[in-house]
Amino acid sequence: MTLADVAAGAPGALSATREGDLIRLRGVSKDYPRISTGTDRLRTMAALLFRRRDIPHFRVLDDVDLDVRRGESLGVVGENGAGKSTLLKIIAGVVRPSAGEVRVAGRVGALLELGSGFHPEYTGRENIFLSSALMGLSRRETQEKLGEIVAFADIGEHIDEPIKHYSSGMTVRLGFAVASVLQPDVLITDEVLAVGDESFQKKCIAWLEAYLRDGGTLLLCSHSMYHVQTLCRHAVWIHQGKVRMAGASSDVTREYLTYHEEKRARASPAARAKGDLTRIVETWIEREDGERASIFRQGEALVLQALAYEPDDRPPVLLFGIVRADGTPVYGSHSHEAGYTPRRLAEREFAFAVRFEALALLPGKYHVRVHSLDPEGLRLFDTVELSFVVAGETRDYGLVELPHSWLPGRGR
Amino acid sequence: MSSAVSAGVPRWGWLLASFTRRELTDRYAGSFSGLAWTLLHPLAQLAIYAYVFNRIFRIGVPADYPGVRYLTFMAAALWPWIMFSEGLQRAMGSIAANAGLIRKVAFPHRLLVFAAILGTAAVHCVGFLAVLVVLRIAGEPIHLSGMPYAAALLVPYLLLAAGVGAFLAALQTLLRDVEHVMQVVLQVLFYASPILYPASLIPASLHGWVEINPLAWFSERLRTVLLHGGGFVAGDLGMTLACVAVFFAGLWFFERLSPHFEDFL
Repeated sequence: MTLADVAAGAPGALSATREGDLIRLRGVSKDYPRISTGTDRLRTMAALLFRRRDIPHFRVLDDVDLDVRRGESLGVVGENGAGKSTLLKIIAGVVRPSAGEVRVAGRVGALLELGSGFHPEYTGRENIFLSSALMGLSRRETQEKLGEIVAFADIGEHIDEPIKHYSSGMTVRLGFAVASVLQPDVLITDEVLAVGDESFQKKCIAWLEAYLRDGGTLLLCSHSMYHVQTLCRHAVWIHQGKVRMAGASSDVTREYLTYHEEKRARASPAARAKGDLTRIVETWIEREDGERASIFRQGEALVLQALAYEPDDRPPVLLFGIVRADGTPVYGSHSHEAGYTPRRLAEREFAFAVRFEALALLPGKYHVRVHSLDPEGLRLFDTVELSFVVAGETRDYGLVELPHSWLPGRGR
Repeated sequence: MSSAVSAGVPRWGWLLASFTRRELTDRYAGSFSGLAWTLLHPLAQLAIYAYVFNRIFRIGVPADYPGVRYLTFMAAALWPWIMFSEGLQRAMGSIAANAGLIRKVAFPHRLLVFAAILGTAAVHCVGFLAVLVVLRIAGEPIHLSGMPYAAALLVPYLLLAAGVGAFLAALQTLLRDVEHVMQVVLQVLFYASPILYPASLIPASLHGWVEINPLAWFSERLRTVLLHGGGFVAGDLGMTLACVAVFFAGLWFFERLSPHFEDFL
């Protein structure tokens, strides 16, 4: 925190010891030294020894602020290499940040990647002892909890075999078992749920839900938006070392997915028509009451309005298509087919409107492409793209909500 | 961070014990008779050196050790040297050997260095004691009363190994080629110190070097208390203080760089 922040009365300046703040990061950055030659190594060492910062480096995390309160569950999402793992390692105390302030008030249990700190030559049981010692348990405490850990891992006789013979799923089971039984104040898990079979995943999630109910604090890094949404109330999106978005997990995961969908679809930029041809003058979307908008609730009415220019003053044909942000087509139709005639506003200018009664689209980001065709509906002259968002939370899957009802089963 | 600091010393004590036990079992993890080899290896070295130096080079025991065989003369300094050099090497490699742990778990890295020294010392103390007992039974004039003094002298010797080991472990993590350099350096130190031969064979012009070489000092002193009996001398205190100073200096260097180990592993 800089002096200016304090002077400006930044909220963090006074609340450092506020009750409930379990994790507090301010302006945290992490640089990794860029070492390719022996000279680099020498220079880096000298710089570290004498606390100078003029070493060639690359920045992995840049000025990250983060607050996690006791009992909160925070999802961490982001692309590979965005800095998520480094962030979690900093909170776990494994990595020291290059700049900024980190406070963690409580015992941290960290499951960073696969099988944190297991030695492959040792048996599962022996590894439980070392792992527990690393997490701060005494020998007696470990012995008391050993049965519970072994039962949770549920890997049968493999517990007395060297870890090197374990499958990745079994290793994770053991790691999770150790971390879960120790009841840490903060549990950090980095892509742990991705490994392990369905039934163990369920067991982990059930345990995590109980842990959160009992007031535990969770930091979950996952590529599964489903897990982030179900387990975390809040989420933070790390993008190129910075916090790109923080907020409710449903909002963050939606934006994150949209980002990916758009990235995938960034292939066909719409081409605007040139010359004196049929073209779209303006198009927009609005609510029932005529207010232009770009965010709609699921089930709300949406009206698409368009003004088109036709050089011969004949009513052109309008085509619209709704696609999800990743380019998946949802629905499209054109005015010609429906026998629709646009209203002639002025010479060579025609107005169109399409009304969607109750928007069945599931929450997400969508694009509407509006195309103008010649009056015969044969040649496509112009394309304009609009975007809108359907807001809300849902546990449904797919694109649209199909009308349905649940009935009492009839049986055979 | 606070979680590591607030929990205090007892939990790290148990962790150090776990690391030390692992340092012992690591030697035979995956192999059938590893620990036996750890004990036999110095014996083989002793046999080879005794044969080469005594029978071929004809190096004898100096007159002030009457009735002592060359084997005994050498054993008294060889085991402490093995503790020192092997402990140093294992300490130096301890960070790289536990890279997986350092990358994933927060704990004081110095415990790995201490565990390397303690584990090595434990193994070779057992071997040393066994050899001294056997030699004594065979009629060699080993002063049992000197054993507590020998044990006490081993403490600064090992503190020196821990200090230098911590320094080299940090250096090795950041610079990589220290290990290769040290193999040569340790070999030079071994032959430059009166371990296989009596200090009296060193030419007078090099006596100054022997005075300040702690390896020479401890080799001679251990031999004296074990084969002549007798207690501490004034120089022991100075040498101990120097070793303590080296220990803390090495540890300072190590602690300064240890938060950055993860960047280099």
